[in-house]
Amino acid sequence: MVALMRCLALALALPLAALAQGESRPSEAEIKAAFLYKFGDFVQWPPASLGRAEAPFAIGVMGAEDVAAALEQLVANRTVQGRPVVVRRVRAGESLARLHVLFIGQADAPRLAETLASARGQPLLTVTDSDNAISQGSMINFVAEDQRVRFDIAPASAERGQLKISSRLLAVARRVITS
Amino acid sequence: MAPVRQSISRRILAVKLATTLVAVLLAIAAMVAYDLRLYHQSWINDLSTQAELLGQMTAPALAFDDARVAKENLALLRYRPSIHAAAIYDARGRLFATFAHDGEGEFPRLPEGDGVRVGGGALVVFKRIINDREILGTVYLRAEYQLFERLLGYLGIAAIVTALAMAVAALFSRWVHRVLVRPVLAITELATQVSEQRDYSLRAEKLTNDEIGLLADSFNGMLAEMERATRELQASNREAAHELAERRRAEQEILRLNAELETRVRERTTELQATNAELEAFCYSVSHDLRAPLRSIDGFGQALLEDFPRDVPEEAKRYLARIRASTQRMGQLIEDLLNLSKVSRGELLRREVDVSELARQVVADLQGREADRKVEVSVWDGMHAYADARLLRAALENLIGNAWKFSARAEQPKIEIGFMRDGEGGTFFVRDNGAGFDMRYAAKLFGAFQRLHSAAEYQGTGIGLATVQRIVHRHGGRIWADAKPGKGAVFFFTLATRSDAAGAAAKEVAA
Repeated sequence: MVALMRCLALALALPLAALAQGESRPSEAEIKAAFLYKFGDFVQWPPASLGRAEAPFAIGVMGAEDVAAALEQLVANRTVQGRPVVVRRVRAGESLARLHVLFIGQADAPRLAETLASARGQPLLTVTDSDNAISQGSMINFVAEDQRVRFDIAPASAERGQLKISSRLLAVARRVITS
Repeated sequence: MAPVRQSISRRILAVKLATTLVAVLLAIAAMVAYDLRLYHQSWINDLSTQAELLGQMTAPALAFDDARVAKENLALLRYRPSIHAAAIYDARGRLFATFAHDGEGEFPRLPEGDGVRVGGGALVVFKRIINDREILGTVYLRAEYQLFERLLGYLGIAAIVTALAMAVAALFSRWVHRVLVRPVLAITELATQVSEQRDYSLRAEKLTNDEIGLLADSFNGMLAEMERATRELQASNREAAHELAERRRAEQEILRLNAELETRVRERTTELQATNAELEAFCYSVSHDLRAPLRSIDGFGQALLEDFPRDVPEEAKRYLARIRASTQRMGQLIEDLLNLSKVSRGELLRREVDVSELARQVVADLQGREADRKVEVSVWDGMHAYADARLLRAALENLIGNAWKFSARAEQPKIEIGFMRDGEGGTFFVRDNGAGFDMRYAAKLFGAFQRLHSAAEYQGTGIGLATVQRIVHRHGGRIWADAKPGKGAVFFFTLATRSDAAGAAAKEVAA
């Protein structure tokens, strides 16, 4: 309950802080949350995985509370693929069913390979925040470059999950890994 | 030929040029308006599409805050030189990426709403980049806008096209002139030539097979008709002139004959007059010379009777008496002849004569001579004539004397001397109810020595009426008679009653 209150306070404080800071740059978590949300517009899921028209678009966050929090705040009243967006905090080992995007934060890096393996072949866009994650089967991996958040993409991994990544997204990727 | 002031060809040229000019200008104006509108629209559409495409292309870059990619995207515009500058603003209105052809360009500090506007010779487009109802940013495009340059270019083309069209129209007009006007002019010239030279044998050349050709044909037909009519007219003119000449010749012939005739008449008249004069002179001298021996015969006969009353036997006395009577009769004859010749000779001394008075004197003389005769004589009052009184008296003496003489055997002798006015002159008459005569012998009436009655019945020499006729004729008058045997006779004669009428009548006689 206390945590919830704190969350709420945080959620309320963030825009306020942003307002107070004026034109100051958003935090790294916020940027990542925004990216996670926006990836949904550039990736094509198989229709079956999206379910009915009213079915929500689910983004799972694992091991990155700040990102999850920022994302929750961001997606309120927003849609992806014409659907309402829900944010689900996922722990390692939990079912990944009915998730469309899964972000595995650095906190869960040790169990990254295991998680990625369980997601392999699923129509689930896996986004990681760790070095070498691509080689372990991650589709999109955040990297820091010039103090900015960039990402690498591995289209082949995505294709294994029956996902099609838009070339427009590829165009803004730092690297497109085709191995 | 009067110069054609406004040639048809020139008018056609003017109309043609005006029409062409209007048509070309209208066409060009419509074309230019259409093209400029199309240019404007399509350029706006093109830029809008370009902006949309750029927006879509840069949407990921905006979404993932990748200005480098956005810049690369914008850099693709280097293949569109007509787009001078482009920029991407992020959702907060800050410049995110820019592109300019000439390196450094100026960009608005803040983006505007969706729209297209023309400013500073350029077309400016702002286009919001929207993804899923979320504004990601704004695309800014600045492109050339060459409406005015295009217009100038079109005007140049219009000038060239107009000039060409005018030239073609002028060529066409020249062709029209050659095909239409020149044949007409040729016919006109021919018409002028025909009217000036009166040469109807000229013919128009049929140059074309169209309406002008028909005109030439009908003109030629008219010329042929005129030629024929002229020929006929000339022929009839020649005929008329010939006839006129003939008639003139005939008239001249008549005139010549008349003149000849007159000359001959004059010659004859002169001859006759000479002969007459000779005859009269001869007659006078003969009469005059005859009287002397007659007197001698009469005188000696009388002396024989008076001087020898006893010696001459009775029978010889009777013979002598008869000789004397014959001698006296011959003397009377000679006297009358002398009178007749006197009447013919000498000047006419005309004056106003009281004919009534003159007739009464004659009647009084006759009554004085034969006082025992009872004759009822009536003389009209107020008769006047313009004549020689002596000769008129002689004529009246003869006429009234004849009436007196030939009415001697009537039971109640009557003589009337009267007058009938007749225009300028008058007709006098002397009427009796005596012996009269047969009108069959009227022609002989006025000849000398012509007698209708025997000397035994009525005395007379037969010279009186000849004398009267001579007197009337000398006055320019006429004389005629009307009679029936036993019913009396009327002698008519005309005389002028006024001097001017007498002059006219005298002239007639002279002619």
